[in-house]
Amino acid sequence: MSINIAKLESILQNLVTGTSDVEGAALVSPDGLPLASALPRGMDEERVSAMSAAMLSLGERIGNELARGGIDRLYVEGDKGYGILTSCGEEAVLLVLASKAAKQGLLMLEIKRVTSELKTALQ
Amino acid sequence: MRPELGEFSSIVCFKALVTGAEEALGEKAAMITLIAAGRSRGKQLAEDLGIKGKGTSDENIVPLLQKALGKDGTRLCIVDKIEHEGALIKVYCRETICSAGEPQGSPRKLTFTLGAIQGVLEQVTGLRLRGKQTESVLRGGSHDVVEFETIG
Repeated sequence: MSINIAKLESILQNLVTGTSDVEGAALVSPDGLPLASALPRGMDEERVSAMSAAMLSLGERIGNELARGGIDRLYVEGDKGYGILTSCGEEAVLLVLASKAAKQGLLMLEIKRVTSELKTALQ
Repeated sequence: MRPELGEFSSIVCFKALVTGAEEALGEKAAMITLIAAGRSRGKQLAEDLGIKGKGTSDENIVPLLQKALGKDGTRLCIVDKIEHEGALIKVYCRETICSAGEPQGSPRKLTFTLGAIQGVLEQVTGLRLRGKQTESVLRGGSHDVVEFETIG
């Protein structure tokens, strides 16, 4: 497999530095392995990766068991901000962490744009 | 450790834990969790054995893994050999806890065992790996074989 990790890291880094209120991002494989990340200091990349893939998978199960259909995205809303998990094709899951002040519409647009960029880089 | 029961527990309980997790979380989420748990265990094991950064060609790796994980160790599995095929690392195991007690033809795959071996190899090689089971004793193989490729 020849994934360009540097390219993925650069896309994530640009998302974090170029979008106000985005605090971190990680791209992980569907089996929970880290591919690239730009996470806040102190967050364990490996733990975040396993957790993200497991959550999205659990979300898919909930969608299926509770007849909610296919799952594209999962939101976790806490009093300090958001964690948004988005399926990024067959090969990856994108996690974006944003502060409470983030404008959700803008955030979703950025996630959509970055997802498309990441999918291209993964091909 | 427990004064009367010692450190070992039955495979029956381990398998109940696996199937229970699969039922509650779904097979995929349970698989991710068990592989992640195995990787943590494998990484810790490599540190304990002092084989971090030694490389898989080191002749002591397989005997050390056999001792740590086999009959005289925690009895997770028996590692018979580690082979290189181009950029792939192939690990041949038997009597793995993940395949134990399963009927012939069962589709069950290695999870915790795969993760544990992956964790060890990642520490030994210093590389980030992705593992895939390619042969199973449950599906006609003589070994449970796991192939690891480097990510990136």
